[in-house]
Amino acid sequence: MAVGSRLRHVIESQQFSRSLLEDLFARSDEIKRDPHRFSGRLNGQVMAALFYEPSTRTRLSFEAAMMRLGGQTMGTDNAREFSSAAKGETLEDTIRIVSGYADVIVVRHNEEGAAKRAAAVSSVPIINAGDGPGQHPTQALLDLYTIKDELNRIDGIRVAMVGDLANGRTVRSLTYLLSKFKDIQLSFVAPPLVAMRDDLKAHLDEHHVPWVETEDLESVLPEVDVVYMTRIQKERFADPAAYEAVKGIYRIDKGSLELMRKYAIVMHPLPRVDEIAPEVDADARAAYFRQARNGLHVRMALLDRLLA
Amino acid sequence: MSVTQGRLKATVMDADQIRRSLSRIAHEIVERNRGTHDVVLVGIPAKGDHLAVRLAAKLMELEGAPVAVGSLDISQHRDDRHLREPAHRGTSQMPDVGGKVVVLVDDVIHHGRTARAAMDALMDFGRPQAIQLAVLIDRGHRELPIRPDYVGKNVPTSDAERIEVLVAEDDGIDQAVIVAG
Repeated sequence: MAVGSRLRHVIESQQFSRSLLEDLFARSDEIKRDPHRFSGRLNGQVMAALFYEPSTRTRLSFEAAMMRLGGQTMGTDNAREFSSAAKGETLEDTIRIVSGYADVIVVRHNEEGAAKRAAAVSSVPIINAGDGPGQHPTQALLDLYTIKDELNRIDGIRVAMVGDLANGRTVRSLTYLLSKFKDIQLSFVAPPLVAMRDDLKAHLDEHHVPWVETEDLESVLPEVDVVYMTRIQKERFADPAAYEAVKGIYRIDKGSLELMRKYAIVMHPLPRVDEIAPEVDADARAAYFRQARNGLHVRMALLDRLLA
Repeated sequence: MSVTQGRLKATVMDADQIRRSLSRIAHEIVERNRGTHDVVLVGIPAKGDHLAVRLAAKLMELEGAPVAVGSLDISQHRDDRHLREPAHRGTSQMPDVGGKVVVLVDDVIHHGRTARAAMDALMDFGRPQAIQLAVLIDRGHRELPIRPDYVGKNVPTSDAERIEVLVAEDDGIDQAVIVAG
């Protein structure tokens, strides 16, 4: 890998420079093409996965990445109810202890900012695997890698982000990353109640990234290269009637595919509920399962970068 | 040449990916040239001419107007013809290119020597307004200051590897593979 900036912890999308992203993606390409060449890279190293919030897929993806590089993993899926935290131990103390056992710690936490707090006291690299409504930087990395892999470029693309944009940390993290590239155009498609938050819009304005906001998905579909769907999260609505009013309003089906460009892709961080009809899966533009698979290669590249 | 002659290392594009890449390139050609009014597609045999025909069909679909397609024999313009027999020799079939935007189409760009020869060969047929280059795969290792305008996929390779593009018209299947050289 080319000599790039130093990478110590992975906390938020903003920390990645364009050149570091390009390095990581080049390594991801190599791994994707010939994974076995990297099978012994992290022999003897140990990854700890501390999940204060359950996430089977993210955790399995990290564990698979570490094991495919020859490393080993340990962890807990219910760190909050488990042992020391239940006894009142702070996150900081847990990290101090675990960083004595492991070479890298993957943390998923329910509180925004938890990963930063962990990094402040850790003697080994911390990887943020999602901190509440905050960020999910490795998801954003694999999302961006998928765009590059599918469309062969990032500069100049038009992306529609659809669904719950206020609470979806994946769209927030991805938007930060996209703002580092040239001639990006963003369309935010959401009901007003869960529209993209103002802080991110201000960030885009500051970086001269044009964006538009609309509630009309159909008008956007013919114009874009990427349709990024998200789930409208029931648990984020205080008023059940408000949820009922907006649930299922955006759905990609065969009719939507007709409107889309023939090369454009549909992405989704998964799990999906009814935002994407199963009939879409058979279309070559359905990129979400390839996206999930890319997660393995990008996380391998990231662990390799941090530890090899 | 066939895949069986070398060791297959990886498939870098399958039929779906090739189809979608060509669709995207067609959109990019339309956007870049604000339509297809002056556009002529010129394929470089043995694969580029098939890809040019497919691109023309996609452009027709997008713009509703036919786009002229040519095929260019570059064997007399290669800079290595004193070293080896050209792999393909044929006759060019060329529409009028004077004042047109010619999009050269090839399957793979590597050192850039084929593209250079193609530009040279093209000049025998007239003076285009501009020449652009579309390739399905850019594998790097350029030896000349040439950069394609439209790329299906960048595939970093080592010089020891070979990329082979199979097209349904000749090979019965659409696929791009890396084989050990």
